[in-house]
Amino acid sequence: MIRHTLTVGWADAPLKRFVDEARLQVAILMHTSGQVLAQVGFQRSLDVQTACALSAAINASAEYLGTMVDGTPFRGLHYAGKGRQIYLGQVPSPDTMLLVLAVFDMESSLGIVQLYVKELQANIAASAPSAVPEEPALAENFEADLNRNLAQLFGRG
Amino acid sequence: MSLVNYATREITCKIVYYGPGRSGKTTNLHYIHGQVPSDRKGQMVSLATQTDRTLFFDFLPIDLGSISGFTTRFQLYTVPGQVYYQTTRKLVLQGADGVVFVADSQQRQLQENIESLQDLHANLADQGVDARTMPLVIQYNKQDLPPELIHSVPELEEGLNFRGVPSFSADALHGPGVFETLRGISEQVLRKLSAGRGA
Repeated sequence: MIRHTLTVGWADAPLKRFVDEARLQVAILMHTSGQVLAQVGFQRSLDVQTACALSAAINASAEYLGTMVDGTPFRGLHYAGKGRQIYLGQVPSPDTMLLVLAVFDMESSLGIVQLYVKELQANIAASAPSAVPEEPALAENFEADLNRNLAQLFGRG
Repeated sequence: MSLVNYATREITCKIVYYGPGRSGKTTNLHYIHGQVPSDRKGQMVSLATQTDRTLFFDFLPIDLGSISGFTTRFQLYTVPGQVYYQTTRKLVLQGADGVVFVADSQQRQLQENIESLQDLHANLADQGVDARTMPLVIQYNKQDLPPELIHSVPELEEGLNFRGVPSFSADALHGPGVFETLRGISEQVLRKLSAGRGA
C-alpha cells in the first residue's frame, strides 16, 4: 500500500521536549515500518534511516516472538551498553502505532525515560493529525529527473 | 508505505528485493553500494549468518537527489531467501512500496523461483495488499552463466512473468542489469506516487 503521510513537523516539538526532559542524547520517532517521522541528535539523514530500519526490525521480531512464546506481543525494550543505553518503545497515535528510540547515558536512567515516554505518548496523541492528504506528491513528468539522478549515482551522468 | 514530507519536500520509499535463496539479492545491493558515492548512501547493514547467508535482511539507504523538487531517498532491503525464514520475510515486506523479484536463471532453480513468487503473493495477501497493485519488476539474474545451465529470458518470462511486469536480464555480480532494475522499480514506485494514493 502506498500511503502519503503529511509530517509537516508536527512530531518535532513533542520529541524535542521528550529529549530535553528525559535528558536524552538522541531520539527518533518512526513508523513501525521504519520510516522516520522526527529525530533529534543525528547529524546525517542516512544514519537515521539505518537506525530506524534496525529499530523497526527489533520491534517486529520482538512482537512476533512474544506472540509465539507468551501469547501476546513483547513491547518495549532496553539495552545497556558500557556508556550508552537504548530504550525502544511504542507510541500510539490516532491512526497508527509509532515507535520511539531513545539513546541516553549516565545523565539519565531507564526510569526517567519510561516516565517521560508516557508524557510523549500523550503529547503525540494530542498533536498528531488525524487525516492524511491524498493528493499526488510528484509531477507526472518525474522521469527525466529520475533518469538523470540515477545515471549520476551510477557514474553514467 | 512511502513517506512524503511536504514541509521539507522529502520522499522516502521502501524497496524490497525478494526471491529464492542464493538468487543474488544481496549481490544487487553490494553492487549498488559499490557504485554510489559515499555522500549519497548510508551504511550497508547486513544481518547475516556466519556463512554470509542473509539471516534477517540487508539494508542500504540511498539518496536519489531531487525529483520534481522533492529530495528522494530509497531504502533498499533484501529478505532471506531460504524457505525456513518465512517469518522474517513477512516482517521485512511490511510497508514495502515496491518489490524487485530476483529470479535465479539456472534451470535447476526454476521450481524455487516459482515457489518464492507464490510465497511473495501469499505474504502480500496476508498483509492485506493486493499483489496486482504493488509495483513489481522481475530481474533474471545469472544470465552470464553458460547457456546450457540457464533458462533464456523468453523461457523465464513464460514461466514466471504471468503479470507481464517489467523484467530485466542481469549479471548482478558484475553489474549488467542492476542499474536498469533499480531504475525500473524506481519508475514504478514514483509513478504510483505521482498518481496519488488510489492509483
